[in-house]
Amino acid sequence: MTEGDEQTLIINMGPQHPSTHGVLRIVLVLDGEYIVSATPVIGYLHRMHEKMAEIRTCLQYMPNMGRVDYLNPLGWNWAWVGALERLAGIEVPERAEFIRVITGELNRISSHLVWFGAYILDLGAFTPIMYAFEDREKILDLLQPISGSRLTYSFFRPGGVANDVTDAVLKDTLDFVKYMRERLPMYRDLVTDNIIFRKRCEGVGVLSLEMCQKYGATGPVLRGSNRSYDIRRTEPYSIYDRFDYEIPVDEKGDAMGRYRVRMAELTESLKIIEQAVNQIPGGDHIVKKAPKPRWKAPKGEVYFAVEGARGKIGVYLISNGDKYPYRVKLRSPGFSNLSLFGELAKGHLLQDAVSILGSLDLVIPEIDR
Amino acid sequence: MTPAWMEGLDILCKCRHDFRKTGITWGLFLSPDTLVDGARRLFQTGFFLEDISALDSANGFVAVYHLSAYSEADRVAFYVILPHNDPQIPSISTVYSGALWHEREAMDFFGIHFTGHPDPKPLLLPEDMTDHPLIKENENRVPLKDLLDPGEIVERDPGFLFFEEVDSSTEESKPEGQ
Repeated sequence: MTEGDEQTLIINMGPQHPSTHGVLRIVLVLDGEYIVSATPVIGYLHRMHEKMAEIRTCLQYMPNMGRVDYLNPLGWNWAWVGALERLAGIEVPERAEFIRVITGELNRISSHLVWFGAYILDLGAFTPIMYAFEDREKILDLLQPISGSRLTYSFFRPGGVANDVTDAVLKDTLDFVKYMRERLPMYRDLVTDNIIFRKRCEGVGVLSLEMCQKYGATGPVLRGSNRSYDIRRTEPYSIYDRFDYEIPVDEKGDAMGRYRVRMAELTESLKIIEQAVNQIPGGDHIVKKAPKPRWKAPKGEVYFAVEGARGKIGVYLISNGDKYPYRVKLRSPGFSNLSLFGELAKGHLLQDAVSILGSLDLVIPEIDR
Repeated sequence: MTPAWMEGLDILCKCRHDFRKTGITWGLFLSPDTLVDGARRLFQTGFFLEDISALDSANGFVAVYHLSAYSEADRVAFYVILPHNDPQIPSISTVYSGALWHEREAMDFFGIHFTGHPDPKPLLLPEDMTDHPLIKENENRVPLKDLLDPGEIVERDPGFLFFEEVDSSTEESKPEGQ
């Protein structure tokens, strides 16, 4: 059975399909209910952030970073300021690094919670997203007084962070860690051990390590295929080497494996937050000579990568010393993770395409940039 | 010091970088003919493709490939310089399937033609769009030596003179080639 055969059916999944979470279109060629080929069509949310970088100063570009991936803006904040700091050799005060770790990990949890709720929703269970959003709301309430916004944070600055945190917020953060730890067993009982859910995920979309390497998959997608690759360990940045935490992996490589990795990451992020809040030192939240809005990046090229909620976020920056960057390339993890979907979905049932898409944790604005 | 995969690879300019300063360990300038060979060697060594981007300089387009190791902080950058009037470069999608989308993106933004690409359709931009948004006006183009940091040049083809001012003191820089 091939494409173009009289017995195949071509259907459009998207661009407004509820399980694509954003504006993603997939052209599916079906033989009965089986997928013969799947071709993602992207670009509906393309905003050309890379061009915008060429008409803004480095600091004016910060708000763009909050908008590339609306679920994990702090990961992108971090990649951008990290690139500037590496290029210009800017030192970051100790306290600022701790604030970055605390907020960055809170953001990872909130991102995973949205994925968790939406994924289960795609598979037909409505209740978990209500629980997940209740917990996410608590994180937004923590990040709001710190960063001033609830969704598209532009909170990091080259040389530190925009605001200091108060002791009251830190105490609330510890309370949240305690609260969240009590919620996780409930998620396990409600969803992870649920037989209907497991039947939709186990053995579905088995991703081999070779395919991960060919397509450049990173993050939980790669770790779900049993490769312990995490930028926080491999290319240590900030102060992640000071904390005690595990990198969860799963040897199955199926949708359930990717699910388990993300759920385990919630626990690990809570561990990091707790240690960071307990160890946070006093001092400045931003270096005294931090770049001003009209600051010019020095001449040179730099690559900086961080571990975002969806994988490896990379910023490649080239500056010729002018007021605007000469060229900025944004490496988005979702782009590479989605590019393998066509090969992965082949031979699966149509309903499994939904399960595989969800297990890749796609955020379309981040893919389209 | 030179990694095993680099042995025998025909490199125009081999630059060693300080990872802490640039986030790159090796920057290799390749000719379009050796690109696929370089990619294949890195694939067999266990590197994965991070991204493919391009850059518009006064010396031509530069296709930039970033590949990274899983085990440690090790990032290799391939640079291929292409003329503005006929930017052609072989596709590496036979080695790294993930390159299919990255190459289509570079086609959208710069109009670079990847020969051997099985599906060279626009990816992010509309199908009827003919402009390439990241191409710069001629007067805004900056020479390569003011953009890329060559780091420490370990080895260089005598005809490769893009960074000649950087090490003009050595006897190698003869006024030949470009």
